[in-house]
Amino acid sequence: MTDLYGYAGKVLRIDLTEKKTHVNKLDRDLALHFLGGRGFNSKRLYDEVAPSTEPLGPENKLMFATSPLVGTMFPTACRINISAKSPHTGILGDTNAGGHFAPELKFAGYDQVILEGRSREPVYVFIDDSDVEFRDASQLLGKDVYEADELIKADLDDRRVQTAIAGPAAENGVRYSGIFINLMRAAARTGMGAVMASKGVKALVVRGTGSIEVADPREFERIVKEIETEIYNHEQYWPRRRMGTTRILMMANEAGFLPTRHYTSGVFEHAEEVSGERLAEEYNVKVRGCFACTIPCSRFYVVKEGKFAGLYGEGPEYEALGSFSSRVGNRDLNVALKANDMCNRLGLDALTTAECISWAMELYEKGLLDKGEMDGLELSWGNGEAILTLIEKIARREGFGDILADGSKAAAEKLGRGMDLTMQVKGLDLIMADPRGLKGFGLGYAVASRGGDHLRSEPFVELSDDPKRGEEMFGVPEATLRLAYKGKGKLVSYFEDWCAVIDALEPCKNIMQNMEILTFKRAAEVIEAVTGLRISASEVRLAGERIVNIERAFNIREGVRRSDDTLPKRFREETLPEGASKGTVFEQEPMLDEYYAERGWDQETGIPTRQTLERLGLGYVADELAKWGRSPTQKAD
Amino acid sequence: MRRILVDAERCAGCRYCEMLCSFHHEGKFSPSLSRVTVIKKDKYGLDYPVFCHQCDPCPSVDACTTRALTKTELGVVELNEEACIGCGLCVDACTFNAVKLDEASKPLICDLCGGEPICVERCPTGALTLVDSEEEGENPEEVFKEILKRWGISD
Repeated sequence: MTDLYGYAGKVLRIDLTEKKTHVNKLDRDLALHFLGGRGFNSKRLYDEVAPSTEPLGPENKLMFATSPLVGTMFPTACRINISAKSPHTGILGDTNAGGHFAPELKFAGYDQVILEGRSREPVYVFIDDSDVEFRDASQLLGKDVYEADELIKADLDDRRVQTAIAGPAAENGVRYSGIFINLMRAAARTGMGAVMASKGVKALVVRGTGSIEVADPREFERIVKEIETEIYNHEQYWPRRRMGTTRILMMANEAGFLPTRHYTSGVFEHAEEVSGERLAEEYNVKVRGCFACTIPCSRFYVVKEGKFAGLYGEGPEYEALGSFSSRVGNRDLNVALKANDMCNRLGLDALTTAECISWAMELYEKGLLDKGEMDGLELSWGNGEAILTLIEKIARREGFGDILADGSKAAAEKLGRGMDLTMQVKGLDLIMADPRGLKGFGLGYAVASRGGDHLRSEPFVELSDDPKRGEEMFGVPEATLRLAYKGKGKLVSYFEDWCAVIDALEPCKNIMQNMEILTFKRAAEVIEAVTGLRISASEVRLAGERIVNIERAFNIREGVRRSDDTLPKRFREETLPEGASKGTVFEQEPMLDEYYAERGWDQETGIPTRQTLERLGLGYVADELAKWGRSPTQKAD
Repeated sequence: MRRILVDAERCAGCRYCEMLCSFHHEGKFSPSLSRVTVIKKDKYGLDYPVFCHQCDPCPSVDACTTRALTKTELGVVELNEEACIGCGLCVDACTFNAVKLDEASKPLICDLCGGEPICVERCPTGALTLVDSEEEGENPEEVFKEILKRWGISD
């Protein structure tokens, strides 16, 4: 046990090759400097996964980490970070999900679990408090996420275990397959499912019966009650409870940044037909929530009519909904729901799957791909049947699906065409907001440590288009104008640090950040009340900055440089043809200059300077980067 | 009889009640120490928090061989810790699976927080209400069946 409250106090290392486990005490300094979750994983990835490690080889390590807040009633604290070197991008990989898995892991007694090596025979790993069992998974091979979940619960004769499952797509080596929690909570970015499957592991299953104590129960209760009230009185409370993130679709369309037909437009003429509003009115039957959530925003839907009548499930969230509607030019909401359901069951990242399909559609539209190469599929915009068939083919790596199963960048390499049209950064396929209409978001995609993704910074204040916010927060009014460039380096580095703190403490980013509930100041208060660690607001932000820098260092070691911090050509050279973001491109270089200056990274290479790393207590990282000949202050041998 | 009534279609399955319960009774967070347990079926989107229903007569009280369990004026089941031998017969006897044992093998049974249950007060979706009712308790499985029928889910 640790002398800290809040944390479970133990790190579990599971050696799949030798079928052995080791338990270590959680290090107090690690807790103080990296907080938890993403912080723990990124630090350990840097320390333990050497450069040039093969992502699908036994040397890669798959880490699950949660936080001191998880397993308490801190509202929305329920999340888990899952990290490894990514087989999809070849750089830092990590993904995050809510649900009920992370608190169960805490109750079993662990803050972090590390899977190492490779099992020769298929297993699932069952963590039953202090016991760890390697159980035969030969009957689970080829089973989809739902089937596997059922079989595991029957095998253990326990309905209350929590499961994290890799689907058939992962078993087939699809490089953007995910890990699925509570069936439908997708930890699906950067291919962590493929890493788990490469280790011979079908699922990580946990049952925990222990408890979590906090350092100052009275102060903790005071903070929690204050947050409850703020959430209930927040203007976003009801829209979120009614629509979750699907409320964004119509907002994005009105602002002209809803990716449509593979980012050839920011306006979808059928947006209303596939909107969160329509889902809420015609499909949703119940609200569901993650563990300890006081603003439950997940929705259970039932399709009542049409070809897919009888389809039911939870979600989808905005990214998956938009991905399988406007992005692929599809106006049939039922097809979008079916596509999302298939991705969940087969174990695929919905965003990357949709990007690959949408990219192929544009190539087909432009005459760069013919039907013969696509197994005869008519891949025209919005062809629902072709979309669904292709999802299945990707998961099975069959025919044209095999070409797409490594992401759009790899597909363009295999085909020898269409690279300029791939909508990805560092190999990670982009999310559902066109950066030409959101310059700060775009800068965030360019520099994000896991590649093209918004959840590393998500500078939501930009959506306010209110210069007063920019003036208040950064002394630069333009920083919060969505089409302006000035001040975006400050904006993005601030929000990156904040996101890193949220990902380390593991509450819900939608609530704690976008609704401005968990500021650095309040994070410091709650960390002290929960753990007993005395920490200031500026030290909390410093922890966020430390996480961002060690992730950058991991990527630098893998060869990432400033030239990789770039958005796809289309955004830089073509304007949006219509809507409220019409007529602008994305000019990244001035924003990057400002961002590196703000970060204390070398302008030419994008490498963190020794001075920056030392300020963050990461002198050993500077030493190592220098040894590799990759420090900008020292020449290579 | 005062008891907690569940609106299963309102329950989001967040288990905030489990956390509130174990924290306010035991000073720590643990589903294993909570007097309420949420049954969940993710595939069907179903959730049901199981509480002591304050049955009269109470099978668990009747099953207790050492008379460690008694009913109070409020109708709740009270434990005399000294008399309890930790045999667990009360767990087996409860019709609603609403009794569990703590780390010392003593039964954990909802005591309505002395009259103002904190879970009712702070349930995020208002799925719980404290009512006067003489009706028999619901079987969650039956409730689930009815809900699925209403939603048009047949498998």
